[in-house]
Amino acid sequence: MSHPIIEISNLVKCYEMGGEEVYALRDVSVTIGSNEYVAIMGPSGSGKSTLMNMLGCLDTPTSGTYYFNGEDVREMTDDDLAEIRNREIGFVFQTFNLLPRATALQNVELPLVYSGVSKTERHDRATRALEQVNLTDRMTHKPNELSGGQRQRVAIARAIVTAPSIILADEPTGNLDTKTGHDIMALFRHLWEAGNTVILVTHEEDVARHARRIIRLRDGRIESDTVNPDA
Amino acid sequence: MRRSTEIAESIRIAIESLRMNLLRSILTTSGVVVGVVLVVVMGWTIGGLDAVWEQAISIMGKDMLYIDKWSWSGGGNWRLMEARKDITLQQAQLLASRMESAECVMPVVRLWSGSVVRNNTSLRCGILGTTNEYGQTSSAELSSGRFFTSIEDYHGAKVVVLGEGVAKGLFPGEDPIGQTIKIISEPYRIIGVIAKRGFLFMDFVDNQVVIPLESFRSTVGLFERSVSVGIKSGSERMLDIVRTEAIGHMRAIRSVPPGAVDDFSINETQAFDEQVKNIRIGIWIVGMGLTILAFIVGSIGIMNIMYVSVTERTKEIGVRKAIGARRNSILLQFLIESSLLCVIGALIAFPFAQLIVGSARYIAVDLLEQDWASVVSPLIPLDLLMIAVGVSIVVGLLAGLLPAIKASRLDPVEALRYEQ
Repeated sequence: MSHPIIEISNLVKCYEMGGEEVYALRDVSVTIGSNEYVAIMGPSGSGKSTLMNMLGCLDTPTSGTYYFNGEDVREMTDDDLAEIRNREIGFVFQTFNLLPRATALQNVELPLVYSGVSKTERHDRATRALEQVNLTDRMTHKPNELSGGQRQRVAIARAIVTAPSIILADEPTGNLDTKTGHDIMALFRHLWEAGNTVILVTHEEDVARHARRIIRLRDGRIESDTVNPDA
Repeated sequence: MRRSTEIAESIRIAIESLRMNLLRSILTTSGVVVGVVLVVVMGWTIGGLDAVWEQAISIMGKDMLYIDKWSWSGGGNWRLMEARKDITLQQAQLLASRMESAECVMPVVRLWSGSVVRNNTSLRCGILGTTNEYGQTSSAELSSGRFFTSIEDYHGAKVVVLGEGVAKGLFPGEDPIGQTIKIISEPYRIIGVIAKRGFLFMDFVDNQVVIPLESFRSTVGLFERSVSVGIKSGSERMLDIVRTEAIGHMRAIRSVPPGAVDDFSINETQAFDEQVKNIRIGIWIVGMGLTILAFIVGSIGIMNIMYVSVTERTKEIGVRKAIGARRNSILLQFLIESSLLCVIGALIAFPFAQLIVGSARYIAVDLLEQDWASVVSPLIPLDLLMIAVGVSIVVGLLAGLLPAIKASRLDPVEALRYEQ
């Protein structure tokens, strides 16, 4: 197995809710290496969203350890986390989460703004990212002038523009029709084949089938972690 | 590098979000608009007052000091001054002969109201008796003719120099030079007219005539009249030396025992500075009070709208944080937005302020014919505009601080989950 990007061991996440402690994750350990294609599955309430937030460095664990590229995430400040998200993680959301008032190109440039890349380089890199998702003809369009599939492709371009260590997609086809969903999944596959590490979070078997490795969660624990022979 | 790209991005976002809510943004700034109008108008008023005052003291002469029985500024003990002995002409002449540091020294005697007659026209005005040195002071700048000479003074020649008001009153549209008027029933030949010197409360200086001291003695008389001694130091630099010397001589002349207080007053244009300063402070306090009030109201409005903006854009903040915006990036974004809002307020305020300032000056100078006001600038000076913009930015930053902190501290997970 290749060099690990994500090393999680005995991870626990506990929320305080109305004075009661609710465990979203209990004792999860998982290692994900470079250029893997992983699907995290589970019914709602299984803790998969919480695990995704952990993997995406949007949240920190209650206990247990999380090393991202050898760095201890639990020790990080909010700004350290922001920086690691900016540099290492590309998010793709179910609802796309594009900025409505910015053009496709500006949306894709945004992560580079926060890493301080110059205007011309930003433009070049964002254009190249949009080329990778076949959207160069829609660069100056705003999200409401784009179809759902096009919006998701803009979001994917935004995710890959910083050349992150992982692409983290949360139900990326959840708001798309079947045909468009297939196109998007083909795009992920293409990205994986090009050497990217892709992690999908989904509750749809059809979507998970695309991944090489499927991790199933139930009640905050890993139920199974299997290699998918179909992919 | 990172900072500058973020600032550029923040400004772009701020402009866009303000444009999206144009009407809301403009209404929100109304408090700031009022505040900026007040700041600018107040600053202009104080600047105008200074300009008028500068003109006033330059007419009276910054290098002049006067030794009098009474203090001009109205300060000091009235009863004590009342009890002082009059300054006699002899004392004044003695001082004039002893002074070494001054450029010139002149005794001045004054009848506050005497009658001046030309044919059938008569008016009452001040009558001033002094020596020819008075002609060298800025109070006696001539518009036509000449001042009297030391020989005319010595012989008590019946010649007179008119103040501008008197010349206009007795000789409307005519040249008074060479004509004759009667001052308290004695005929005087007009040899010169003093240019307009009056302004505001100092109007009386135009309503007087100046005659040689010796002529004053024979026409009006010096009985029970305290003499004022005008001393021209020649330059402001010399004032201190001249003052010290004059006090020394005057104490000796009037036999003031060592250790006792002076039994005369030294009057200078500086004495008025104090009064002008009080007017300035008065305008400043009232103006500042109103301005602060307007800015407080304004900043509450801005703060309110910024909270609304933060809430409306919770999801956007979540997205930005997810893709790598640090706390400071978000903070900066909202601070730039709130200060930009205030700068827009300032820009809206400027035309209003200019309108007020321009009208005030037009009414004073053109409608009420207050010539003294013409030295006041009809335009708001640039530095005042810069200050107003600066103040608005500061107000914007302060008003936006709490909403911006709230935005910067949003939890990205919760912000992403937020639905409107």
